[in-house]
Amino acid sequence: MRRPRPLDAVVAIALNTFREAVRDRVLYLLVAFAVLVILSSRLLAMVTVGNEEKIVKDLGLSAISIFGVGIAVFVGVSLVFKEIERRTVYTLLAQPVQRWQFVLAKFAGLLAVLAVHVVLMYVTLAFALWMRGATASGLAPAVWLILVELAIVTAFALLFSTLTNPILAAVWTSAVYVSGHLSWSLRLLAERVPPGAGRWACEAGYWILPNLDRLDRKAEVVHGLDLPAGFIAWSTLYGACYVALVLALACLAFERREFR
Amino acid sequence: MSGSGPVVELRGLTKVYRGHLGIGRSLGLDGLDLSVEPGQVFGLLGPNGAGKTTTLKLILGLLRADRGEVRLFGRPASDAAVRARLGYLPENPYFYDYLTAEEFLDFYGRLQGIPRAERRARVQASLARVGLAERSSTALRKFSKGMVQRLGVAQAIQHDPELVILDEPMSGLDPIGRREVRDLILDLRRAGRTVFFSSHILQDAEMICDRVAILDHGRLRAAGRLGDLISTTVRWFEVALRGAVPAGPLQLLSSAGDEHLVRVPDVSALAELLETMRRTGGQVLSVWPRRDTLEDLFLREIAR
Amino acid sequence: MRAPRWIAAGLLAAALGGASLSARVLERLTPARGRAEQLLYLPNGRHLRVLSLGHAPLLADLIYVWAIQYYSEYDTADRFRYVRHVFGDVIAELDPHYIDAYWLGAMILIIEARDLEGGLSLLDLGIERNPDQWILPYLAAWECQMASRPECAKRYFERAAAVPGAPPITRRMHAALLARTGALEEALRLWLAVLEDPASDDLSRAIAKRKVSEVRAKIDVSALRQAIETFRIDNGRAPHDLAELRRRGYIREVPTDPSGQPYAYDAATARVTSAAGRVLGEP
Repeated sequence: MRRPRPLDAVVAIALNTFREAVRDRVLYLLVAFAVLVILSSRLLAMVTVGNEEKIVKDLGLSAISIFGVGIAVFVGVSLVFKEIERRTVYTLLAQPVQRWQFVLAKFAGLLAVLAVHVVLMYVTLAFALWMRGATASGLAPAVWLILVELAIVTAFALLFSTLTNPILAAVWTSAVYVSGHLSWSLRLLAERVPPGAGRWACEAGYWILPNLDRLDRKAEVVHGLDLPAGFIAWSTLYGACYVALVLALACLAFERREFR
Repeated sequence: MSGSGPVVELRGLTKVYRGHLGIGRSLGLDGLDLSVEPGQVFGLLGPNGAGKTTTLKLILGLLRADRGEVRLFGRPASDAAVRARLGYLPENPYFYDYLTAEEFLDFYGRLQGIPRAERRARVQASLARVGLAERSSTALRKFSKGMVQRLGVAQAIQHDPELVILDEPMSGLDPIGRREVRDLILDLRRAGRTVFFSSHILQDAEMICDRVAILDHGRLRAAGRLGDLISTTVRWFEVALRGAVPAGPLQLLSSAGDEHLVRVPDVSALAELLETMRRTGGQVLSVWPRRDTLEDLFLREIAR
Repeated sequence: MRAPRWIAAGLLAAALGGASLSARVLERLTPARGRAEQLLYLPNGRHLRVLSLGHAPLLADLIYVWAIQYYSEYDTADRFRYVRHVFGDVIAELDPHYIDAYWLGAMILIIEARDLEGGLSLLDLGIERNPDQWILPYLAAWECQMASRPECAKRYFERAAAVPGAPPITRRMHAALLARTGALEEALRLWLAVLEDPASDDLSRAIAKRKVSEVRAKIDVSALRQAIETFRIDNGRAPHDLAELRRRGYIREVPTDPSGQPYAYDAATARVTSAAGRVLGEP
């Protein structure tokens, strides 16, 4: 009989996921951010002397990152859970769609939501800066790296949400996020621990955990410093490969899952 | 379209549910053998907790069997391509709140592989078929339970599958809704499709099934053609009469004043009773011929 | 359907390879963040206390451990700039009774940064907040003494000894310092106090007893020497013997040394010695 082309099915589910997230509450977050950035812009002009532009840029970039992580974690973990709890997943999996396609599609949908969020916020920030005669074009590399970081966090959110309930999944994802930002300390610890199992464990931990801190280049772009050549490209490759590995785990977990 | 082998074939299907932390086990299904031929309406019956939903989930791949196998259209159930030939309606379905009926069916149409050109037409046709044509742009969150059920049926048949699997399709529906579902199933059979459904409402099953299987506590208690299972039973008659109850081979079922309900074992006893009533001048109010219903069979099997 | 399995496995292997490779490249490329910058972002302990949500002492411990690591990196440039801040304003604000922190910070400043004033100010902070701790003023006194600042040391020893429950060693060290710097009367008083204190342990008492004899002898000898000197100035010659000093009124009476022996006076060299003194190590 007929079967959907794999890409077709993935796109359909991804679009559906996107629609679900957007018709949810996410838009309100965007509005909140836009208001925050523009307000801070005006307020700072009244209060400080000197480089308000830097503060707006710092605040803007951090808000994009924080709101993005919030969406990735809270929407991401509920994605799969809601489907299972409300049993919409039953009819979905009864279709000629394979389970890994389902996982990939969920990821694609959520990533699309995050991309839209990041772009919209970036535009808002650019507008706020334009209103005081500054430009946001130099911030683009940091914003792109924020998106890479969000992709990694989302992949983890999806992985944990196929494994457990949303609260635990949110906790685990947040733990990975925090560890990812502190992985440099594992490096330092490895130097101080005497050689042996302990040192090996620290090194292993450092390489296995996603190095999110390295993707944070907010300080550099705000001060207009150059990034090393190829940094963006290699970071993107790192992010893409890491996401692929985590999603593979998520697909595996979902493949084995039974629906009582 | 392969028309030869059984559409659904279960052999020695066993599912064990492990308790929390590995403590305790309960038998979901124990060695179920079943087969559904093309063009049949097959009813999987049993009390709640018998394993009907477990069976359906095993067929659809939502659960993995511990022993035994499931074959659909002669192929193992794990083959995703096979699912293109079936439609499924789960029990108490719940769908995406934020979609409209049209969007919902269109989404599933895409997953079912209906090409874009036909999709719109099919969606409209199935909405009309289940009587939701005016609600095509209504958001699902505003749907009543009956409407959701009908939409679920629409989703299960819109791609014209050869096999339609329904889990408790009549649950929660009013009598009109139930009749509509029954008619739909009969329509599908007329069109040569196979229908496999589970239910605990036996009267409906009696009206439309070709074959039934009765499950209890994960085991198959009885299976076969409906006619075979309940035809070899004695018919009896219930007679409502007014006046004195005559003697004879009859059993008094109930009385209200001078009206009585009696039961006679066969046609000759009935003839005798009617003659007696005519002679004594009593009044015969009505006569019901009764045969063994599925319910009687069910209760007998379960009691064993 | 074997083919897709192999494709999937191949893709995953590629992903693993890609991730490892890019991680290594990025390690080399990434500009290292200045370590000192990290310290700058350590806010005042008062604010951190708010952030710690009731776990201030634990946070103090964590920062303490981190600080130890940080300060053992000898090649960090300009690493002593924030010692006072880290130990005084941060850790001490989070946990004012964290004695180790004051002590360690002071040690770092005094020994490694050679900043006695800075170290002492940190210890002062600790003393102020922990008046019941004798160890901090004791350590401060010690450091003053090592840096040849006897006045400073004396003050701290007094302070340490004033703490109720301070062990005898505080007074012993104080007395020894006093004796060394010539304040013999005070030293004697202190040693007597140790001797007479019912709370002193046997060792302290034994030492005190010895020291009392020693200091008494020193005081006597010193007084005698002074009288001899005065005599010489007055009379142009050394006295014939100690009795002459008494007769002429330069001393009230001829003292005997603690062991009961008279002091030996050598008229030729005009020097007074005592047998006890020789035993105790006096010339």
